[in-house]
Amino acid sequence: MVEEGKRTLPKWADMSLVMLKIGLFTFGGGWSIVAQMQKEFVEKRGWLGEEELLDIVAIGRSFPGIMVVNTAVMLGYRIGGVGCAFLCAFGMAFPAFVVMAAVTTCYTAVRDNPWVARAMVGVRAVVVPIILSACLGMRKSAVRDRVGLGIAVLAFLGLLAGISNLYIIFLGGFVGLAVQTLLASRQAQPGQGEEKGGGEG
Amino acid sequence: MKTLLDLYLVFFKIGVCSFGGLSMIPVINEEMVRHGWMTLEEVADIIAFAEMTPGPLGINAATFAGMRAAGISGAVAANLGVMSLALTLCLAAAIFLARLRGNPYLERFTYGIRPVCIGVMLATCITMLPNYQNAAGAVAPGAVLIGAAALFLLVKRKWSIPKVMLVAAALGLVLGG
Repeated sequence: MVEEGKRTLPKWADMSLVMLKIGLFTFGGGWSIVAQMQKEFVEKRGWLGEEELLDIVAIGRSFPGIMVVNTAVMLGYRIGGVGCAFLCAFGMAFPAFVVMAAVTTCYTAVRDNPWVARAMVGVRAVVVPIILSACLGMRKSAVRDRVGLGIAVLAFLGLLAGISNLYIIFLGGFVGLAVQTLLASRQAQPGQGEEKGGGEG
Repeated sequence: MKTLLDLYLVFFKIGVCSFGGLSMIPVINEEMVRHGWMTLEEVADIIAFAEMTPGPLGINAATFAGMRAAGISGAVAANLGVMSLALTLCLAAAIFLARLRGNPYLERFTYGIRPVCIGVMLATCITMLPNYQNAAGAVAPGAVLIGAAALFLLVKRKWSIPKVMLVAAALGLVLGG
């Protein structure tokens, strides 16, 4: 046949190769990876619709874990079933694994070199600014009202007071669930839904 | 063997506690320091490396911590741990996708989670302040200066992270120590 060699790979193999590629060439995680998935699977191959991808991404984000791995698993299942879901997750993670294993080996070997140590003082100093700028970037979408602000402040104080992240995070989730459910049920009935007490965190 | 199991379980917990991007940092910091797998300095280093190499932070951190604690097999155990939840919970979610679509309870839950992420991330910045001290515990003016410059470049000038890192490394050679 004439088209031989063009796309003779089975779907699962093609898909895991694309995941490998995305995992290898996409820096910065998150949204840039989703954009790649959109291009490869929706535009080029037409394996699923735009809206379906957005649904998958929305759920992948609200579930705990690594957002892009969550998305890869769901996408893999949707296109090729359970086996494909596993392949996609491992394909996505593999390049980062190899690169990081190499970096760790080098790091362990050179970290005591005085010049490297000096450069690392500078690199390390950038980490707090990175976290701060990420907080600034998500400030508006994450803290939408006074309840959100209250939850953020209590979480901040809680972690500094030595409470474990696990408890703080899930407590925050349930407070959000309770507050929003209460507001929704109040709005369904006549009366005002604006006033509320501070979230207990 | 016990170390491998510990790595798996701790990274499983890290997976459970993280909701998107850098919100993973507070848990990684807490667990690594508690288990003695990394110092505070090393946690900062791994975040820096993760931002400069491809792939998600969770995989990078699992590989780094696993390798340092127990070699390649440790890295595999930690990676399986951090991905386990995706391979079970998200697989189930994909199977029941139609029912989850636009579920209000899921949205209300994340409404509470997002501000928590900001709160614990800011708190982690405070616990990381020793990165701005020298070995004797005094404030290191060079590191403070580099930090302030980096914040300016990231927020005001919108530089990319790898670019800021390179500049910071060069400045560190001059001012560090």
